[in-house]
Amino acid sequence: MKFVIALFAPPHSPAARRALRFAEAVLAGGHEIVRLFFYQDGVHSASANVVAAQDELDVAAEWSRFVSANQLDGVVCIAAGLRRGVLDAGEAQRYQRPAANLAAGWELSGLGQLHEAAQQADRLVCFGGQ
Amino acid sequence: MATLHLLSHSPFSDGRFNSCLPLLGDTDALLLAGDATYALTAGTKPATELEQLPEQVALFALEEDVQARALGMLPTRVQLLDYAGFVELTCRYERINSWL
Repeated sequence: MKFVIALFAPPHSPAARRALRFAEAVLAGGHEIVRLFFYQDGVHSASANVVAAQDELDVAAEWSRFVSANQLDGVVCIAAGLRRGVLDAGEAQRYQRPAANLAAGWELSGLGQLHEAAQQADRLVCFGGQ
Repeated sequence: MATLHLLSHSPFSDGRFNSCLPLLGDTDALLLAGDATYALTAGTKPATELEQLPEQVALFALEEDVQARALGMLPTRVQLLDYAGFVELTCRYERINSWL
């Protein structure tokens, strides 16, 4: 079955970890992830600048590893990312910001990518809240 | 079309639980995750309301979230899931409505 997984909650929310564990279980179950989409505060999990305490799970780093290792289509909403300071090199240059911080594996794109993926997939599962 | 409702907010601090229950159709299911599992706390109003849901409505909870909160004396109708079971459940319901 084809899944789209959307994350709306920040990396320090239990929902971010729940979405990650769900995504891992989707692949482990032999299913396909058509696209991952980070929206609203979920975009913070695509920042390479998030630092987790040593005894805590580094959700943002795990997401980056997960997306890269499985060569997934990981999309971060560009409007939500810009307003929260999650920039790739192109946007950092365009808006003359000192650094880009989009983690490996991710790309910035529009909300239309969520809509398109939802059409292609059998299931859209959203994670947010607590 | 059967819908799986996914709740993650505690019913004791948020209105989503109360908004969700009346919307559950006969073929729908409810999955409690995170703080929403506090709804299973024995002897409380949310637990009673869950017990009183129509028989056809299936009730699930994420086992790790139940264990993390040391919830015992669970309603007999609740089925505990790991993440593999969570994925399998989403395959059985055509729509998944997350109460974000």
